[in-house]
This record gives sequence, structure tokens and C-alpha cells, in this order.
Amino acid sequence: MSSLPSPSILLEARALGFSRQDERVFGPVDFDLRAGDIALVEGDNGSGKTTLMRVLTGMLRAGEGDVLFAGQPFSLTTMGGAIVFLGHHLGLKSDLTARENLDVSAGLYGVRDGTSPMEALRVVGLGGFEDEPVRRLSAGQKKRAALARLLLLPARVWLLDEPYANLDREGIALVNQLLDGHAARGGAALVTSHGAVSFAGGEPRRIRLHA
Amino acid sequence: MIPGSTASACAAVLQRDLTLAWRRRGDIAMPVLYALIVTTLFPFAVGPEPALLARIAGGVVFVTVLLAVLLSLDQLFRADIEDGSMEQLMLAPQPLALLVGMKVLAHWITSALPLIVVAPLLASMLRLPAAAMPALLLALAIATPLLSLLGAVLVALTAGSRRSGMLLALMLLPLCVPVVIFAAGAVAAAQEGLPWLAPIAWLGAGLVMAVVLAPLASAAALRIAMES
Repeated sequence: MSSLPSPSILLEARALGFSRQDERVFGPVDFDLRAGDIALVEGDNGSGKTTLMRVLTGMLRAGEGDVLFAGQPFSLTTMGGAIVFLGHHLGLKSDLTARENLDVSAGLYGVRDGTSPMEALRVVGLGGFEDEPVRRLSAGQKKRAALARLLLLPARVWLLDEPYANLDREGIALVNQLLDGHAARGGAALVTSHGAVSFAGGEPRRIRLHA
Repeated sequence: MIPGSTASACAAVLQRDLTLAWRRRGDIAMPVLYALIVTTLFPFAVGPEPALLARIAGGVVFVTVLLAVLLSLDQLFRADIEDGSMEQLMLAPQPLALLVGMKVLAHWITSALPLIVVAPLLASMLRLPAAAMPALLLALAIATPLLSLLGAVLVALTAGSRRSGMLLALMLLPLCVPVVIFAAGAVAAAQEGLPWLAPIAWLGAGLVMAVVLAPLASAAALRIAMES
């Protein structure tokens, strides 16, 4: 592998590892995400999947190794908004409606061309629930409201931590459909899961973490 | 406004926090009621002589407002950290310090502004002369944002710990000493017919410094808190 990254590589981890008080949480791992890639991070509970995600977002400082975004060292101050992260906490305000929550995200991150909060909510199956306070939605519907944010925001890299949790079979199909659409638009996504996952578009790239 | 621009991000955060406060407007009334009750207790405790009450009125109002603001400060970042909104703010393309500044502004509007509105009532309950009222209001208008900003830094520093309420009070109250001295000093000077603008100017200088530095410090502290 040459040391110069090809321009289509969006996100790259080089010998990335993280330790908490001298105890290794994960790594070192090497991988790259190119435009159109969907990669699955596999690992048992406690193998460091969420920590890897938080390191990649820039919220946690990597103990060792580098994260490169489009060939440049990644930093939140210069590249904020390039990555959209969906974690265990969905980042929804329960007193606001689904649409108001999306409006806040749109104000912060901007909007992908040709989409709107209403359109995004319709696609994730929350049509008719736009003006319902999030606290009155079910756990699966909340997840869908958070997924709508992925559709709305212009970021090319999605980091999804356990996106399948709390979703019914239709919801799982929806996540796969969103991922396929994102890959087709030239985006990339990293998805964690502790269970078996079958993507619509065949076998995904796998990144394995060991406890 | 273009979505994703700095202006729209600031507006989004400000509007979000104000909407949230409005949906829970009962909570806005709490600090006001608290200040009202505490002020009512003083004549019972020290006796109803008008001269004595007038002498302590300025100080009592400031300390009461300070404690009322302190009560609501604890919640400044907690809900955002618990529901993951803080992560979304941190990953946004705008500087976190700016967004934190907007949150502090929203907090000041929803918790300190109502207190400033009722302050003339509190002060006249303690028989503060009307001549000192402009000094009191001006001092409050400058001192309360200063308190909110100082408080935001400390709330961000204690955000990682579980029971931060008492810790926050222990850290913030000593820092408030100069604020109380200058604010109460201005009111005391106005009561005696002396020029009272100098202490207000000192408060103003403190506020300018806090507006610049406190959001940066809060943002840095929040990043550290989110790493744990």
C-alpha cells in the first residue's frame, strides 16, 4: 500500500488504538473508508466499538495512531460537520417535536441539497408524526426520528453506533435502505453491531474488534 | 439565513433553548418565587424597622438573586449531556464556544431576566429608596450575565461528576465575592447620594472579559468532561 492516500479515501485509521488508564480498550486497527463503502465493525460487548466511534468523531483523543479525513489529520475545529454521528443517546430533545429537532440539526449542520425536514421524516416513516413531541413517540419511532437526521444533513461520512437497536424488521430494512442510498450518492458509513447483520447490498466489509 | 451558517447555528441553539424553557415555563417561575420568599423572610428575621431594612436592602437583593441563579445553573448542560445533544453540538461545524455562549444567553434570558423584572418589587418590599433603584437595576443587568458566564465555566468543569450541585455552589460563591462587592457598593453609594457609576464600570469590565473568555473555557471544559 502506498503511503499517499488515493483521493477517494474519506476516512482512514492508521494503527489506531485507545487505552484507558493503561488498559487497552481496542486496537491497534487499520482500515480505510472509501466513497461508497459501508463497513461493519464487529465485536462482543466491551470490545471497544463505541470507543472506536467516539475516537473517530474526534470527541475522544486517540491514544495512538492517526485518524485521517480525506488525507488530512482529522480535527473537530477544522472539519466539524464532515461526520454525522448517531450514538446510543439519540440527541433528540424530548420536549420538542420531531420536526423541531430536525430544524435545530439543520441550523447547526446545514441541509443536503434537495431535501427538507418534512421530506426526511416522511422517508423514515414518521409522516403524520412531525408535530408530535418526541417524548410521546415509541423507542423505535425515536430512533427513526434520529435516522431522519442522517438523510437531512450534508455530511458524507456516517458513523452509526448500533443503528439496528430498538428497530422492528421494517426499521432494519429502512436502515439498510438508507445506507444503500448513501453509498450510491458517494458517501461512506461505518456501522457497529454486536449481532448478526445482513445488508441489502450483499456482504459488507468487516472490521473485527477483540475484547 | 443559510442553514449551516454560523448565524443560523446560533439562532438554532438559542431558539431551541428558549422553546424548551417555554415548554416548561413552570420552571421559569421557580427562581422568582424563591427570591420572593427569601426576601420576605428578612423582615421577620431582622425586624421591621424601615431604616434597618433600607440599609440592607441592596445586599439582600443581590445575594438572593445570586442564590436563585445558582439554583438553576446546575441544569445548564446536564440535559444536553444526558440525551446526547451535547455530542451533536460538539460535532457541528461551528465553534463549540459560540454555541455554548448561546446556551448561556438563553439561560440568562430564562432565569436571570425574570429576576431583574421582579427586583424592584423585592427592593421596595425592603424599603429601598426609589433614588437607588436605577443603580440597583443597572448593577443587576450587568452582574447577572457575569454570574451566568462564571457559572457556566464551573458547571462545565463539574459536568463529569454525578452530584455536582453542592460542589458548584462551593466553587462559584467565592468567585462571586467581587461581583457582590461592586454591585452592592453601587447601590449603597446611590443611597447616600454619592456617584455610583465607578463600581458599575468595574462590573462592566468584568463582564466584557467574561463574555470573551468564559465561553472558550466552558467549551474546553465540556470537551474534557465528554472524554470521560
